[in-house]
Amino acid sequence: MKDNWIKKHIYDIAAYAGLLVTLILFFVFSRNRLLYNATTVIQTAAPYAVLSLGAVFVYSMGFMDVSVGQQVGVYAILIILISNALGGTTFGVFVGFLVVLAIALLCGAFNGAVAVWLGLPSIVTSLFLMFFFTGAQYLLMESTGINSISIQAAIKPSDRNIYTLLLIAVVALTALVVFYLFKFTKLGKYTRAIGANEKTAVQAGVNTTKWKVYAYMAFGATVALGAFLMLTRTGSAGKGTGSGYAMDIMICLILGGMPLSGGMLSKAGSALIGTFTYILLTNDLTTMGVSLNTINFVKAVIFIIIILVTCRKQTNLLPR
Amino acid sequence: MKTRMKRAGAMILAGAMAMSCLGSVSASAAEPKKTVIGVAFYNDSSKPTTATKAYLESLADALNVEFKYTVFTQTDESANLTKIQELISAGAEGIIGTIDLGTTAIVEECEAAGVYYAGYLCDFDTSYQTAYEAVYENPYFLGTISDGHNPDDIVLGTQTFESVMEYNERNPENPLTHMAMIIFPDWAYPAQAKQAEQFVEEIEKYNETAETPITVDPIDAESDVIPFTPLDSTYFSKHPDIDAIASFAAGTSFVYPTMVASGVDGDLKLFTTGFEGGEEENFGSAGKGTFQQNVITAIETVTYPLVLLLNQINGVEFADMPETAERIGCDQIIINSDEDLEKFLVNIYNTGDAAGACWTGEDVLKMTAFGNPDATYADLVEAVTNLTLDNM
Repeated sequence: MKDNWIKKHIYDIAAYAGLLVTLILFFVFSRNRLLYNATTVIQTAAPYAVLSLGAVFVYSMGFMDVSVGQQVGVYAILIILISNALGGTTFGVFVGFLVVLAIALLCGAFNGAVAVWLGLPSIVTSLFLMFFFTGAQYLLMESTGINSISIQAAIKPSDRNIYTLLLIAVVALTALVVFYLFKFTKLGKYTRAIGANEKTAVQAGVNTTKWKVYAYMAFGATVALGAFLMLTRTGSAGKGTGSGYAMDIMICLILGGMPLSGGMLSKAGSALIGTFTYILLTNDLTTMGVSLNTINFVKAVIFIIIILVTCRKQTNLLPR
Repeated sequence: MKTRMKRAGAMILAGAMAMSCLGSVSASAAEPKKTVIGVAFYNDSSKPTTATKAYLESLADALNVEFKYTVFTQTDESANLTKIQELISAGAEGIIGTIDLGTTAIVEECEAAGVYYAGYLCDFDTSYQTAYEAVYENPYFLGTISDGHNPDDIVLGTQTFESVMEYNERNPENPLTHMAMIIFPDWAYPAQAKQAEQFVEEIEKYNETAETPITVDPIDAESDVIPFTPLDSTYFSKHPDIDAIASFAAGTSFVYPTMVASGVDGDLKLFTTGFEGGEEENFGSAGKGTFQQNVITAIETVTYPLVLLLNQINGVEFADMPETAERIGCDQIIINSDEDLEKFLVNIYNTGDAAGACWTGEDVLKMTAFGNPDATYADLVEAVTNLTLDNM
């Protein structure tokens, strides 16, 4: 009985254990910089957490979106351009965010719908979006004539602690909404069903096209929010803003126990566990004295180990 | 069998990781506490980066400093802020940065953490123009030393003109008479367009009395402005009759490879900036003689931000320390003859060997306010701004 429970929850146990270990190391090695490191971890993790939470809907279907980094970059630039054009006011920031949110939802719908209608793997449409947004990011920055643009409006409190608390609140609220949608509504149920076996889901009467589009739109909403949170960190954006986010989100989800093939074992909690494990791991390795240039190598080793350990034994498939 | 192999692989990797972590922990525990200075380079593998690391490490014992290194990105402010946060988490009390991207947020972060920030090989011009108060007037930003002269004190155009004149004096039978230029985009390096203008003005002045005038093709925005990508080979068809190129953009990396690929490296001369290594084989009278000018900044200029940081961390200041942080320009190492090249080849910039540096740890200690009560800011500036080939 006990063995069965452990077997059934082995991935959850591994994910929670990873988070626990990184947390312990964090407290041990932060020493006199504990408060600074804690706020740093939260500030760094907040955009990733929001993006990963939205990505749960897409990954639970066994799909992925490689355009997220470029979308984040373009959205950050757009918010800056729009708010600055409107006089650098809070109203301008609000308008900028609404515009970006609308674009993100449209892109989500495009990603989900076109993949189904053309019978393409979703990664192909997201590749198209990635190239599109790469070009858009370049052109937008070219139009400014500078390497980096800054927002004129104040978009975060000057008090570091209040800013951190606000970030916690935003992440917590997003998590609550995502948990509710994923656990208690058709959106979560059907995306997991699509990931487990799409044909069976269709046979059961699920309109998979519709729910794929909804899932991608939900992700789009978090991409817009994540881009805004990322913008609050520096108040500026440029040609490379957002690069690498797609891969980072995938790593966060896998570290959190999300099966790459999606399915019924998918959990929204993977996003938070994975994100904080990932960010804490970087912080821990730094405070432990690992050379900053070798941290990526160490993280890659850990990633490989997780992939090896979570491979299904009989079929070499990732768990569903 | 496969499963066992996977398990074994996983265990080996886990063991290796654990050993590396334990090793690093025990290593840091064994060493005495030192001041930690972080250095954020603009790349992780180039002659200046390698040489700067070698130079700083050679100073470490005398100054009781441990250096930690990271690499900035040239395009992502948020990533740069994260790098700074990592350095602070790693215990850095002072940080030297080499790119002006995300600087306002970086300086804010440093202030919040009580960490000092200073610049090297970078004029922080964007911040100077658009965020002077937030960056230069922040007490945690201590100043920067530029990669050569400041944008409001351009000399490279004149310098390149002088190199062309020296070449023509050495080659009276085959002087350069037709040149074209190459620059990086204005949004990244606005000074380069001004350097090109200065070069053209000097040539025009020279042509007023010259027996053999020199023609300089005007900058063509499509072919002559390279957005950090190698020069396109169509450049040579747009400038078919030239016999030399003045590349204010880093020519060794972005221009020379295209010259070689297009088979024009034996026909055209290149006057440029930077030195990546290997140029000596075709420099001056050697090989195909492609390179006729390379301009670089002495890596010992990093002494400026280092001393300012260490003074602050040790709680002392120069008596003549300016109230607001400064960006100081510096003379550069000009290599435009075989004799210059011979001197430069033994320089730390080229060898990466700190034995060839101008100053030892004890020398730098004497430049600090805590190591030498008589040391002044003016002396420090004087020392780091005159590191030319003749003075070193």
